Amino acid sequence: MPAQTAAPGRTLGWVLFIVFVIAVVMGTGPGIWLINPDVDGPSADFAWRGIPIIYLWGLLWYAVQLIVILTAAFTIWNEEA
Amino acid sequence: MPTQQTAGGFESMMPYLVFGLYIMMLLILGFAGWRKFQRSRRGEEDYYLAGRSQGWIVSSLTIMATFFSSFALLGVPGTTYREGVVFALFALNVPIGGAVIYAFGAKIARIGRARNFVTPADMLADYYGSRHAMRLLVALIGFLFVVPYVIVQLRAGGMLAEQLFGFQNAFEIGTIVLAITATLYIIVGGMRSVGYADVVQGLLLIMGMLLGGATIVWRLGGPEAFFEQVSQLPASSLSSPGTTGFWAPAMLMTAAAFGALGSLIQPAQWMRFYAASSTRTLRRSAIIFTVVLTSCYIFGVMLVGLGGQVQYPLQYLPDGGVAAHADVGAFDQILIVIVKNNLPAMLGLFGAFLAGMIMIAIMAAAMSTADANVHAFSAIFTRDIYQRYVAPRSTEQERVWVGRIVIFFSIVFSLFLVFLSRNNPQFTPIQMLTNMALLGIAFSTQLLPATVDMLYIHRGSRQGATAGMIVGVIVVFLSSPFGNMIFGGISSTMVGVATDYAKIIDRGALGLIANLTVFVLISFFTSRPPLGKIAEYVALSRGRRKGEPVTASTMQEVR
Repeated sequence: MPAQTAAPGRTLGWVLFIVFVIAVVMGTGPGIWLINPDVDGPSADFAWRGIPIIYLWGLLWYAVQLIVILTAAFTIWNEEA
Repeated sequence: MPTQQTAGGFESMMPYLVFGLYIMMLLILGFAGWRKFQRSRRGEEDYYLAGRSQGWIVSSLTIMATFFSSFALLGVPGTTYREGVVFALFALNVPIGGAVIYAFGAKIARIGRARNFVTPADMLADYYGSRHAMRLLVALIGFLFVVPYVIVQLRAGGMLAEQLFGFQNAFEIGTIVLAITATLYIIVGGMRSVGYADVVQGLLLIMGMLLGGATIVWRLGGPEAFFEQVSQLPASSLSSPGTTGFWAPAMLMTAAAFGALGSLIQPAQWMRFYAASSTRTLRRSAIIFTVVLTSCYIFGVMLVGLGGQVQYPLQYLPDGGVAAHADVGAFDQILIVIVKNNLPAMLGLFGAFLAGMIMIAIMAAAMSTADANVHAFSAIFTRDIYQRYVAPRSTEQERVWVGRIVIFFSIVFSLFLVFLSRNNPQFTPIQMLTNMALLGIAFSTQLLPATVDMLYIHRGSRQGATAGMIVGVIVVFLSSPFGNMIFGGISSTMVGVATDYAKIIDRGALGLIANLTVFVLISFFTSRPPLGKIAEYVALSRGRRKGEPVTASTMQEVR
């Protein structure tokens, strides 16, 4: 059957879309300010367990993006030729 | 010592050996593509879309290889080297591209297959019912993306040949050899040859990016020691907006988002969606793209940039600026310097071989983007210009030959510009074209509103889409250095506003905002395409077979 009966997947699709957009905004946009070290602060933490915080932040949101894409790929992306 | 002399002699031969193998492999793959093309119908679908039969291995690797130009292996590590860890977040643009491959690609592939489309303009002009304006506009946007990219990639190939061999005229000879090779394999087999070549070139660039990262991590004492030393870098290298202050969140987010979107709906990628054998192919390609390419960024070239700052500290200038370390020269040379200075020292002859392979990987990134764009340009010219306005009654076979001639002349023209700028310091079209190449993605982003509307929203009108694209292209142009150069004296306020905003957000996004605003406003007052057309596109994009009737529920939905 073609995907014309894809109503249940539509809600999931919207949820995944919103989570993905949040990941982009948090990972590369204003979300950075949440963890950005204060360069003028006397005790600014630039690393967590030896790894730069911003690098870890990128890994975190990459993981979210990847989970969204894998979930979409195995649930709502149908495979008709 | 004789042994050392022998090893040294062999080591000096290594670049020639690796380069020779690379060129030979491209020609063999081009020949394989030609053999397969000869056994096909030899029409436009075969030449430009490999008979819409590309499987997931070829599709995923050719999409990846086209996406990653020499910028990925030179510009990205160079920018991370200059800006610090904040630019590592740019890697998050790749999953956006992965999502687009399926979200747009699958629908484009289904509709394209059902209606025998070859170029992006075929689909957009058909959907909006525009016989001339939209076709020419989409072709123009494709042209603005394609031509500068080809020239810049050829030039990058020549520069790498110069780095690799170092003898006099290495640039010229390297550029000519690469151009002849590309011309041969694109001309003989079309998309099949390009696809086969991109498989190997895609694998090479993945290897090059990851090996570059591994080299610097290893050189600095392993992952723990690497990050420990990176954590000691200056504060500006470990925080946003980076060393120069350019990569503030608004700029980073819009560049990442629209860089990916613009790159994935440019003509060569659009044609790769048409060429996929099924949507299953595109689903797999999207997953591979997201997992492999993002890893190449995060665990490969981004680490080269960060480790580069440790091994070759930045020079902070009295005027507040920043310069690359004297041993590096220019920021975008950091990957080359790291592999050339470290790998042979760490691994001897094998290290020299690996360093040569990474240089070839950078060359492959340039070649794979150039071949895809030349091939796409040929399709745009023959389908959207030659067939429509020059020879409407031409046969498919005739148009394939015209396309081959276009490929030959576009590469010759590109070579001419490369050498002209090389021999005449007063004339620098390459510098201009480099700037234009960066604008290429911003131009192709202007296809986005019409594409999203056609595939998902179905509310826009032909007039709205056309006017939106025109305004978007104009805004991108005005915000570029060319806008100031050409219109600065005539309308400095408008140019000034556009240029100022382009310092805050990406040019593509700036154009897109204007494009979208005009598209929505004009569409509000004009009619969208006929319901039957919209319903047909909706049904086709969801997998309806050609010839099957559109269901009543689809008609109801689009109302």
